Amino acid sequence: MQREAPEGASLLATARDALLQEILPKLSAADAFTARMIANAMAIAAREAAQDAMWVEETRASIHRLTGATEAPDRALAAAIRAGAFDPGSAHHTEAAALLREAARRRCAISAPRVLGKG
Amino acid sequence: MDEARRAKLKDWLRGATGAADLELGAMALLSGGAIQQNWALDVTLVGRSEAWVLRTDNAATLAVSLPRSAEFALLQAAFAACVTVPEPLYLCDDTGILGAPFFIMRRVQGIAAGHRVVKGETLCGGRDAAVAALGRELARIHRITPPRADLAFLGAPPADACLAFVAEQRRALDRQVLPRPVLEWGLRHLERTAPPPLPPVLNHNDFRTGNLMLSDAGVTAVLDWEFAAWGEPHADLGWFCAKCWRFGSAYEAGGIGARDAFYAGYAAEAGHAVDAARVTWWELAAHIRWAVIAIDQAARHLSGKETSLELALTGHIVPELEWEILNMTGVPHAA
Repeated sequence: MQREAPEGASLLATARDALLQEILPKLSAADAFTARMIANAMAIAAREAAQDAMWVEETRASIHRLTGATEAPDRALAAAIRAGAFDPGSAHHTEAAALLREAARRRCAISAPRVLGKG
Repeated sequence: MDEARRAKLKDWLRGATGAADLELGAMALLSGGAIQQNWALDVTLVGRSEAWVLRTDNAATLAVSLPRSAEFALLQAAFAACVTVPEPLYLCDDTGILGAPFFIMRRVQGIAAGHRVVKGETLCGGRDAAVAALGRELARIHRITPPRADLAFLGAPPADACLAFVAEQRRALDRQVLPRPVLEWGLRHLERTAPPPLPPVLNHNDFRTGNLMLSDAGVTAVLDWEFAAWGEPHADLGWFCAKCWRFGSAYEAGGIGARDAFYAGYAAEAGHAVDAARVTWWELAAHIRWAVIAIDQAARHLSGKETSLELALTGHIVPELEWEILNMTGVPHAA
């Protein structure tokens, strides 16, 4: 046995289309603003559901290699950056910069794909 | 607004204006901010009609925002410095009239909504004329300098506005649930590259497209003074030019016009050139400040105390601000 189709991603996409194509044109300006926000929220949720979240664990491991932190790696990384441990010219500046860029890319892929030239 | 409040308001206005024949006409709630309520108010007194705005607090007031009496004093100071603001008329600190302090200012006409302003080809006579006029407005604001007894509520100016900014944002991040490595990266860059202090001026602190009312004839109002503080002049220039306040437009000055035209307008009125490197510093600062505000707004939703789709979506602005912060600190796009 398996779950009934269409699955969540397909339902979300179809529901969003119905909202934008059928409902939005009939709404007042104030309601249209809310409808666009709903469509935006649905799109973010759909992208999040589709993303492989492995990068979160990989980032955690990378931060561990950079900072030695096993607990609360983001906090350790934030503190080290604040203290100047990854300033330009420091031993691991380039790796830290690449790690932040990659995490920002994964986060934008969900929240703001247009800055990546997508969506 | 109910009849009892209207009657109290009319009596109060008769006292404030000295016009015993004052009559209240139509009142309509204008679209306003999350913090304040603005009411369009039509009155007749001494035989003539006046178009006013009544500005008062919403129930949920941000702690960081200035009270109405302070905003009124700022409008008075700006009006006296020839900044184009709605003329401030009367202030009421008595909460017995409307339940919260309020003030009355003259009503002005124009377009402020960011997505409309950035599409306006004829506002102020054209894009570059518009940003030059806004540059002149900003230079006039910056002529207001401490100490000022009438603006004593602003406190003492920071000794170093740049380093004070970095410290303030770090304190704000330390109050949040999650650490923010990219914002820390941006703040560390700012700390390392902070220019030396300049003599303090009045910062509007929210001088950006969306808070500036324009018509085809020119700038009609610089609005929303509740975040004003003593600071560094380039902070306002950077906030206005920052990519995050261009509403998707390619024009670098607020999404409205060319950066050079904006700087030229400012320099003509200020009597000295704009320091472009300082503006760049403050544009990075602007992205960090907006990200910290967005995190705070999303936290209000996440706390469960103020469930709101708009606040929830504001949190999702943070990643694209981080992306831009990495661009502005020279981080390459690919590893």
